[in-house]
Amino acid sequence: MRLETENLGFTYEGGVEALRGIDLVIKAGERAAIVGQNGAGKTTLVKHFNGLLRPTSGTVRVGDVLTSESPVSKLAARVGYVFQNPDEQLFCKTVEEEIIFGPKNLGFTPEKVEALVADALELSDLGTRKDENPYDLSPSWRKMVAMASIIAMDTPIIVLDEPTTGQDALNIARIANIVSTLHARGKTVITITHDIDFCVENFERLIAMAQGRIILDAPMAEGLAERDLLASTYVEQPQLTRLGARLGLARTVGKPDDFLAALQELRQ
Amino acid sequence: MRNRLSFYIPRQSLIHDLNPLTKLALVFTFIIVAFSSSWYWLPTILFFFGLVPLSFIGKVGKAFLRTTFRLLLPLFIFLFVMQSLFYPGGVTPLLSLWIFSVKLEGVQFAYLTGTRILVMVSSFLVLLLTTHPSTLMSDLTRRGLPGALAYIITSTLQIIPQMQGKANTIIDAQRSRGLDTEGNLFKRAGALLPLVGPLVFGSLVDVEERAIAIEARAFNAPCKKTSLIEISDTGFETALRWFFLLLMLAAIGSRIWLS
Repeated sequence: MRLETENLGFTYEGGVEALRGIDLVIKAGERAAIVGQNGAGKTTLVKHFNGLLRPTSGTVRVGDVLTSESPVSKLAARVGYVFQNPDEQLFCKTVEEEIIFGPKNLGFTPEKVEALVADALELSDLGTRKDENPYDLSPSWRKMVAMASIIAMDTPIIVLDEPTTGQDALNIARIANIVSTLHARGKTVITITHDIDFCVENFERLIAMAQGRIILDAPMAEGLAERDLLASTYVEQPQLTRLGARLGLARTVGKPDDFLAALQELRQ
Repeated sequence: MRNRLSFYIPRQSLIHDLNPLTKLALVFTFIIVAFSSSWYWLPTILFFFGLVPLSFIGKVGKAFLRTTFRLLLPLFIFLFVMQSLFYPGGVTPLLSLWIFSVKLEGVQFAYLTGTRILVMVSSFLVLLLTTHPSTLMSDLTRRGLPGALAYIITSTLQIIPQMQGKANTIIDAQRSRGLDTEGNLFKRAGALLPLVGPLVFGSLVDVEERAIAIEARAFNAPCKKTSLIEISDTGFETALRWFFLLLMLAAIGSRIWLS
């Protein structure tokens, strides 16, 4: 499902202008990472995708629907949004009930709900924990519960707000696996992150924001090359990219494989 | 924080610079004098020639008048309607309509009660508009109010806007999961459940974290503490407070022995 904003502007009550003239098209099945300094407007932007915020000016279109004309509870079937803090979202007695909540709200048949929940439990490695109380789990597992509860809604577009913050390597690998599985299923995955390595390894499009504007929007490798532009919004290139540049590699690299390949070329 | 609970308006003024305790003494003087005086017009005079000028000296006159009006208008309407119609000692009818008749005594009583309440509420407003709650609390703590009590009061004032913010985020999170918060009453009541859990749990966690945080900064240390906020207090103000105290005693005394 295509996501499109046209000249989107948003001003918070109290006069803070958080978004200024955002023109953005995210096609079905893309994996896009939004980066940028704190207060750049990243969360404000994605909150427009499922209608939590309505544009002050301009439009946001999800598929054929204008977000300004559709209630959030309807848009929830199109855009799933995993909040940054799972504690603001979880309320059920067991992990399983928690995951059932979303698809049930969307009015799926009991069989479909059951299938979606089983799938989400498996994808998030929560199968053995499905009868536990979410609040007995560690914060990193609570984050997985929050993620599973959105995956089970089977939305064509999924937004992950800071998925890797406070997570260890094992959990980051789990989240990476979720991203690639969702991608393989043809879903659009959008993330907001400060974790540039996670971004490089799992996303193909880089969108950098500063002061309510998009200052960079490019395929990952091209985007990574824009050192100064990224630095202007306090995003540092990945270590490998910096190392590659210092070694004088012919192209910008982000992932270990690319780095090694480019190094081979340089040697020959 | 967009929504705030305190009335405080930061300005540079003579009233802002007064010690909070002096202002508190002033407030109580106004209230006690207004309530104990047997002179009918005194509360009115206190308001127009005492509190209104004070609020303008404090550069908060507009907010003062607006807030007073908003807070008290509904009460006054109720007070006048009830008392003028049903005051038990009413004998002098002013006008009659069907079985209702407005009595002079009722109107007079309503006016006196109304102006007394006006003085009480608006004098507190002068204090609250010109004093930051934490300044008031740290001054009172310095003078011996238990720190724990001051903490309870200030944290309560701060916690409500915070909880509002948290509640809004939780509602957003649940709406994102397809929860319908619009629609009929039954649906809305059902929508409350997913809100209450995270809100209560989150607040309990917050309280615990806050307790640890302040304890880590030696909140319960038994020694005498210094204060970051310097609150001015002059000999003149001490004298002023004694004067207010005498005034209060005189007002109460006159009430007891002269009437």
